[in-house]
Amino acid sequence: MAQISAERQRDTEAATQGRADRPPRRFRWFNLFLYAMLLILTITSLGPFVFSFFSSFKTFEHILDFPPSLFPNPWTWDNYAKLLNYPGFPRWILNSLIYSIGAAILNVLFSAMAGYALSRLRFRGRSLIFVLTLAVMMIPAPIMLIPRFLIVNSLGLANTYFALLLPAMAQPFSVFLMVQFMKGLPRELEESAMLDGASRWTIFRSVILPLVVPALSAVAILSFQAAWNDFQWPLVVLGSQDMYTLTLGMFYFKNTYYTAYNLLIAGSMFNAIPIAVLFFIFQRYFIEGTTSAAVKG
Amino acid sequence: MASQPATPGAASTLRDERKRAQLGGHRGSGARRGEALAAYLFLTPYFIVLGIFYIFVLLYGLGLSLFKIDIGFTAPIFVGFNNYAIIFQQLSYAGDSDFWISIINIIKFTIVVVIGQTIVALLIAMLLQAVTPKIRGVFRTLFYLPAVTSSVAISLLFLWFYTPQGVINYLLSLVGIPGPHWLEDPLFALPALMLLNIWCTAASFMLYFLAGLQDLPRELYEAAQVDGANRTNLFFYITIPLLRPIIFLVVALGTIGAFQMFDQALFMTGGGPLRSTLTPALQIYYAAFRDNHFGLAAAMSVLLFILIFVVTIFQRRLIDTSLS
Repeated sequence: MAQISAERQRDTEAATQGRADRPPRRFRWFNLFLYAMLLILTITSLGPFVFSFFSSFKTFEHILDFPPSLFPNPWTWDNYAKLLNYPGFPRWILNSLIYSIGAAILNVLFSAMAGYALSRLRFRGRSLIFVLTLAVMMIPAPIMLIPRFLIVNSLGLANTYFALLLPAMAQPFSVFLMVQFMKGLPRELEESAMLDGASRWTIFRSVILPLVVPALSAVAILSFQAAWNDFQWPLVVLGSQDMYTLTLGMFYFKNTYYTAYNLLIAGSMFNAIPIAVLFFIFQRYFIEGTTSAAVKG
Repeated sequence: MASQPATPGAASTLRDERKRAQLGGHRGSGARRGEALAAYLFLTPYFIVLGIFYIFVLLYGLGLSLFKIDIGFTAPIFVGFNNYAIIFQQLSYAGDSDFWISIINIIKFTIVVVIGQTIVALLIAMLLQAVTPKIRGVFRTLFYLPAVTSSVAISLLFLWFYTPQGVINYLLSLVGIPGPHWLEDPLFALPALMLLNIWCTAASFMLYFLAGLQDLPRELYEAAQVDGANRTNLFFYITIPLLRPIIFLVVALGTIGAFQMFDQALFMTGGGPLRSTLTPALQIYYAAFRDNHFGLAAAMSVLLFILIFVVTIFQRRLIDTSLS
C-alpha cells in the first residue's frame, strides 16, 4: 500500500514536471511485459543478421543443417576467400564505392548549393522550384525507369559511371533537407559578411556551410547508403561485368550459384556490414535525416 | 530536431524577408539582379537533375507511351493510344494477362503490407515511448537496423531462411507446424514476400510514430485519467485521433513504397512461381528489357502512376472521415 502511494506520488511529480516522455508506471508486471517485448523485438530485428553472420563461416555441407546451429562447426574462411577470388568481385566492390562515394560528395555539394539559393536568396521562380521539389519527391522510381533509361542510353552514357552519378548528383530529397536546415539561420551573419565585401560563394562556403554540418552529414550518409543499396538503376543501365556494382554482381552471381547459400550469405555480408557499421557510428544522422523530412510542418 | 523547423523558422524567414526588402530598396535593382543571377548559378546542377531526370523524364514517359519502340530494330512508330488499348483489351482475359495479374498481386501485397507495417510500427513506437529515454535510444537503434540494410542483402538472406529446410521452417517445426515450400509454392510465395517486407519496413515508420508520440500534449492524458479513462480508452480516444496526420503519412508512404516493390520480387522469385509474385514494377521491367516493348512498358508505368495517385487520394479521404 505504502509502495503504491509512493509510486503515485512519483507519477504526479513526473507529470507536473511536464515529462511527456515518461508515462506513469503502476504495475511491476507491466514493466516486465515491456522488457519481454523489447527482448523479443531485439531477437527478431538482430537475430537474422547475427545468425547469418555466423553462418557465413559455415561450409557448404553444413549451411542447410536441420536443425540449424548458430555457430559454425567447422569454422571456415573459404566462403570469403572464394568470393574475393571470383573474377570481377573486387571490381564490383570498387564500382559500388565509386558510385556511393561519388553520389555522396556530389549530392552534398550540389544540394547544399541549391538549398542555399532556395532558402537564402530571392529570385523569380523560387517557390515554383520548391513546390516542384516537393512534388517529385513523391513520384515512385519505377514510373521513371523506362524514360530515364532511354535518355541515358541515347546520350551514349549507358554502362558508364556517368549513368550512375548524373541522376544521383543533386536529389530533390536532399535539397529539401538542406532548405529545411538553412532557412532557420539568422540573416545577420550573411549581412555583416556582405558589408565586408564577401562574395556569395564565400558567404555560402564560410558562413552557411559550417552552420549546417549536421545536415551535410545526414545528406552524405543517406546518399551513400542509397547508392550502396541501389539495385534497380544499376540493373538497367549497367551492361558489362566489369561495370557491375556489388548488388548487381550478387544478382548475377546468385543466378549462377543459386544453391551455394554459404557463398550467397558471405556475399550479402559484404553488402550489409559496411552500412551496418556506418549506421552504428552515425545513427543520429540516419534517424534525424529520415524523420526531419517526414515532419515537414 | 525533427519538430523544430516548422513554424518559428517560417516566421523568422518572413521577418527577414521584409528587412531584406528594405535593404534591397537601398541597394537598387542591380543588387537584386545580381542576387537572382547568383541563385541561378547555385541552382544549375540541381536544375540539370530536376529538369532532365524528373520533369522531362515524366513528360517523355507520357510521350513514349504513345509509341511503339523496340531498341535496335526499327525506328519508333507513333501508335496513339494503341498501347493503352492493348492493355485494356487484356482486361477481358485478366486472369491470363501479365499486367493485370501483377496489378491484382500488388493490391493484395499492398493491403497486407501497409496494414501490417503500420500496426507493427505503431506498437513498437508505443513500446519505446513507454520506457526511459536512455533505453529508448538504444533499442530504437537496434530495431532500425533492418531498415538500413539493402534489399539485395536481405533478399539473399531470406532466400536461405525460406528454403524448405531453412530456419523459418525449423522454427515452425518447433511448434509442430509443417512449413510449406515458401518460395516454390504459388500459395505461399507472395505471403513470404509480404512478411519480409513488413519486417524490414516497419522500423522506418516506427520513427515517424515515435516523433509524433513525443509531440502529443501530456495534459490531455492527465485530464482523461482524472475522468477515469483507462489505457485502452486513452489509446483509442486520444492517441489515435491525435496521431491522424502521422497515420496518414505512414499509410501514404507505405502504399507508395509497397506499390513499387521490385527488388525482392526479381531477386527471390523472378515473379514466379506461376506469376504469383509478379509485380507491376517487375512487369514493366520485363516488358521493356526482356520483350523489348518500351512503349508498352511506358504505358504501363503511366497506368501504375495513376493507380498509386488515386489510391493515395482515396486513402486520405478514408482516414480523414473514419478517424475524425
